[in-house]
Formats: sequence, structure tokens, C-alpha cells
Amino acid sequence: MKFKPADVAPPELDMTPMIDIVFQLITFFMVINKFDQAEADERVTLPKDQLAVPPAVQRKDSFLLNFGYLRDQKGNLTNPEPFFFFADEQVPLAQVRQRLRQEAQFYQTIGTDMKEVVVEIRADADVKSGMVQELIQMCQEDGIGFQRFALKATQKMIE
Amino acid sequence: MKLRNRVGLGKIQLDMTPMIDVVFQLMIFFMCTLKVTEPEGDFDISMPLGAAAPSAVTEAELPPFKVRMIADAEGNLNALSFNGVNLGGGEQAFAKLNSEVFRAIHALKAIGPDQQEKQEVEIDPDYNLHYRNIISAIGSCSGRMGPNGIPVRYISKIKFAPRREP
Repeated sequence: MKFKPADVAPPELDMTPMIDIVFQLITFFMVINKFDQAEADERVTLPKDQLAVPPAVQRKDSFLLNFGYLRDQKGNLTNPEPFFFFADEQVPLAQVRQRLRQEAQFYQTIGTDMKEVVVEIRADADVKSGMVQELIQMCQEDGIGFQRFALKATQKMIE
Repeated sequence: MKLRNRVGLGKIQLDMTPMIDVVFQLMIFFMCTLKVTEPEGDFDISMPLGAAAPSAVTEAELPPFKVRMIADAEGNLNALSFNGVNLGGGEQAFAKLNSEVFRAIHALKAIGPDQQEKQEVEIDPDYNLHYRNIISAIGSCSGRMGPNGIPVRYISKIKFAPRREP
């Protein structure tokens, strides 16, 4: 039996759906991403309070200090001493002065008034209060000179 | 002029496939990346340089409200006092503190309309007191949550007393 060769046109790939998806995903990422909480360390369990509301105006000059404990998967402390978490590095309170000095030098170099810089402290609920006070004192030492502080807490919803 | 009959204007068929693609992709993405996080807020602490030492109080400015917090050996709140008045310990102490601060600022309004804004609170905790108690005390002094979910502010100037040794 003889078959006629069919005229097969080359398949055209319609890119429109893929472009739709890509654009939608990009838009979605841009909208939902919370860049302001990108520096928040999950190892820090913040205390809770009803009145801990996010600031109405975004702070222009601020830097975040995560201060908490190393815990195992069950939540038990693996080290009784709290640490400052800088990316993958853990720094004890006694050695954080150098970091604060570097931050202060950065703001002084770019000409920012130190009265405008806010030190945001994300301290664990179980940290000793005296250590937070010690940190604030360090921030105010000569050569550092931070004056404004914000203590972070999780907003407790009304039951 | 004679126009030819236009041919080939059939019914437009709407291809739903791309839209379904998008919806499914977004749904899967939401399911995979959904991370339930509680919103974070903060409390401003006013600690200008050189203010750590107790300063002389002029007639124009009132002394700060003093909140003393005493810890037990485990770091829990053992006793809380407001301007020398003992309010007890535990969670109830913070509710009492909130009422006391409300009463105190009510009395301030009688002195002058802007006294409430000028008034400071000085928090004086034991070294080993758990930090969560500090946040509760600051929250109690800052105000209360109104019935419509809008905070009613009491005092916004909060500072720490000089640190106590461990």
C-alpha cells in the first residue's frame, strides 16, 4: 500500500506561558519577600509582648545584633553561655566589642550622625538582663558611641 | 467598491492551559515556602551618652519612675516594685505595674499636659533576671492594648539604671 507523505510543519514552541509564569513568580517574590527580617537569626527565641509593634517608619540607619543560645533539636541548651550570631560565626559577649567598634567606624566613615543610628537588639528570652545592659554599656563606650537602642520582641496576639 | 466576503473569522478559542499552569505553580510554591512567622516589633530605649549615672533633678523635670526587679536563683522574677511599692512576683506583678503606671500618669496630667511625654521610666533589674521579664516590664510601662487593637500609650521614654553586678 502506498502512503502519501504528509506535509508536517515544524512545531512552533509558544513561549508565552513560560514568560507568564516567570514574570508572575518574579513579581510574587518581590512582593512577599521580607528583606527587613532577613538578618533575624532563628536560633534566638524572642520574648513576647502585646505592645511590641513594628516601627511605623522604616529606620534609615540601624544594625541588628542577634544574641542567643546554641540549642539542640529538642531545644535544650548545648552551651550555657550565650553568643552573638554573625552569619556562621558565634561571638561571646566578652569579644563583641571589636565588632561594635567596626560598626561604629563604618557609620563614622560614611558621615552618619551616631545619634541617628539605632542598635536593634534581638536577645533571647532566657538571656540574663545584666548581659543586655552590659552590651548597651559597651555600645556607649568611647570609640563606639551608639546612643539609640531598640529591644526586639515578638508581637503577642490578644487571646 | 466591491468588498469580498471576509473568510476565516471563526470563533476565538481561549486556551486555558497557561492560566492553569500559573495557578498550579503558584499553589505549589505557596505550599512549599509557607513559613508561619510571628510579626516582630520593638521598644525604643533612650540611653543618651553620659546618662548612666543618676543625674540631678531640676524643678522643671520630675524624677523617673523606678521599676526595681529582683530575681531568684533561677533568674525568674521574685519581686517587682514600682517607686518603692512592692507589687509581688510572677505574671500578676506586670498587670499591677501596668495599673500603677496608669495611675501615675493620670496624676501627671494634673500637673501639666506635657508632663506625660517628658516622664521617664528607669528599669533596674538584677543581673541574672531573665530578659523576658524586662520586655514584660517595658511593655507594662509603655501602655496597654485598647479594645479595638490600637495601643494606648503611657510612657515612651524608657531607660536602664546602672548595671548591677552578678
